[in-house]
Amino acid sequence: MSLICLKDIRKVYHMDEEKIVALGRINLRIEQGEICCILGTSGSGKSTLLNIMAGLEKPTKGSIEIDGVNVTDFSEKQWALFRQKYIGFVFQSYNLLPTLTAIQNVAVPLMFKGIKKKERTKSAVHMLKMVHLGNRLTHMPTQMSGGQQQRVGIARAFVARPPIVFADEPTGNLDSKTSREVMGLMVTMAKKYKETLILVTHDTEIAKYADRIITIHDGSILNDQSNESILKNPENLEEKVV
Amino acid sequence: MLSMAFGNLFKRKVRTLLTVTGVIIGTCAIVVMMSLGIGIKQSMQDTLKNMGDLTVITVNSTSQSPDAAALDDKMLKKMKKMEHVAALTPILSLDSSMISIQSKKYKFQGMIYGVYLDTLKDFGYKTENGELPSAGADKTTILFGKDAEYDFIDIRKSSNNMIYPQPDKNGKMPDPYVRPMKDKFQVTVTLPEDSTATVKPLKLRCVGTLSEDGGKNPYPSHSIFMDVTYAKELQAKYNKLNNVKKTSKKESYESASVKVDSIANVPKVEKAIKELGFTTYSMENIRKPMEEQMRTIQMILGGLGGISLFVAALGITNTMIMSIYERTREIGIMKVLGCVVRNIRTIFLIESGAIGFIGGVIGLAQSYAISFAINTLYATSGDQGGGAAGMIMEGTAGAAGQISIIPLWLALGALLFSTMVGLLSGFYPANRAVKVSALTAIKQE
Repeated sequence: MSLICLKDIRKVYHMDEEKIVALGRINLRIEQGEICCILGTSGSGKSTLLNIMAGLEKPTKGSIEIDGVNVTDFSEKQWALFRQKYIGFVFQSYNLLPTLTAIQNVAVPLMFKGIKKKERTKSAVHMLKMVHLGNRLTHMPTQMSGGQQQRVGIARAFVARPPIVFADEPTGNLDSKTSREVMGLMVTMAKKYKETLILVTHDTEIAKYADRIITIHDGSILNDQSNESILKNPENLEEKVV
Repeated sequence: MLSMAFGNLFKRKVRTLLTVTGVIIGTCAIVVMMSLGIGIKQSMQDTLKNMGDLTVITVNSTSQSPDAAALDDKMLKKMKKMEHVAALTPILSLDSSMISIQSKKYKFQGMIYGVYLDTLKDFGYKTENGELPSAGADKTTILFGKDAEYDFIDIRKSSNNMIYPQPDKNGKMPDPYVRPMKDKFQVTVTLPEDSTATVKPLKLRCVGTLSEDGGKNPYPSHSIFMDVTYAKELQAKYNKLNNVKKTSKKESYESASVKVDSIANVPKVEKAIKELGFTTYSMENIRKPMEEQMRTIQMILGGLGGISLFVAALGITNTMIMSIYERTREIGIMKVLGCVVRNIRTIFLIESGAIGFIGGVIGLAQSYAISFAINTLYATSGDQGGGAAGMIMEGTAGAAGQISIIPLWLALGALLFSTMVGLLSGFYPANRAVKVSALTAIKQE
């Protein structure tokens, strides 16, 4: 059974009188442990798809099952509790809490889960060391570079060992060198813990880190193939995205 | 969660400080104002107490008309049975022209009051020497008022026949003619000048001298207290010997004093006595309008304080709302990270509650300081006694000298109140924070 199963997902936005179809009949299955990239230009509907999978938006039609649970009609509170257990997040703009130190930021998901302070600090320190930030434990977000902040973000996403980690343009604000570091870290960690990593990006370079690339265009899946086949035929991908 | 809330407060130091200052001023204003109100009320009550016992009602028989209710022993018994009546005594005043109390050649010139001697205790009379008589005392028992010993004249002299209770140059009080506890006293009923009858003097025994107390009726100063039944006998004897005709057949005391068990029950008892057909007088007549006035003053003072605390509450709300705008994204992130709505609300409420509480604590400390300052200032300027406060305080000036009193309940109440204000003014912002959509929040750049 698939970890994430989307059935006939449709999302329509209403702007005044106008109807904008962001996603039209998406059917998608993502398996456990897959590193999966949703690739598309801006406005293609890739972010909407991610938001729907993470419960931040509700689909107009269709249903979502995660780990066998139908989460389509979850309330906000149910989603919050569900996210505590199942989902980690890496954002484009890091989104660290500005008043907290690196350790505290990483520990936030554990705090919401109700884990004791001593334990969560221990896990947070461990995670920060894994992302090579052992010397930045008590720094505030503003005292760190973008790459460092994003690494704190990654530590935070993985600290609770969620089965699924979403990364929304995780390298959007980083230079190419740091991007490579960050991507490497994420993929390593996901593989290590056998977690499902779902990347959303418009960058084909980033997409190369994934096992599976799902190309989205105008709200529907244009292409869904494993990385190997793309690597053999790189022009294929470029062409479709552009 | 706590550290997160305090971290937020700490991060925005200046704003938190300003908001807390608002609460401090608000709490301070309300506490100081109320303490002034309480202090003034307290001193007013002290003043009243000095003017008269607050729980005593004086009953006067209205008229001599035959159908009017008589204030006799039967009626007194009836009153005694009323609820909340702790003690009562009739007051029969005899002039020293009607009966004379003598010790050798010295004759008493003051007032003689007939009362139930055993109730003096209940009315709160105190003795300087000797003891208050208890029930069943001999009918010849008498008690001296504070200065009654100086109210004796030497009947053999026609002038310079009194000793005045004024200290001499050395500040020493002169010795009076009589020593109440040692000398023997006797009473005789005055005869008409042309009478040839003789009356046998009756022995009296003084058991004590009363302390001066301006709040008591009868006033224990230039007076001698004796048993009312005996006084009545003497009065009857006088009337008979001097052919005084009674205007009414009914026997009735002119007045009586009724002691009520507590101030709160005074109006009730007073009303009941009035219904029996007597006129009454009690400090309640003065106390009530004064108390109403006090209440008004307190309300005005409290209101002034309340306004500043209300403004402070608006400050808290404003701060928290601003905080939401600033932290929309933060809230969104927390939601995405699996934060349950309740947690967000808790964080906001902790923050606003903390502002209220901290403000309350500091405000209270400051109130104590201000209260102390006011009292010190008042004590030093109290002698001049200028201003309205001075006038109000006249009665007790120097005694307590506290115009601002912060009782424990006010202190704790203020703390609770300021925290509540913090929580309440944080409630609306907290609910708004909860409604922030995670998606729009994280999209914000």
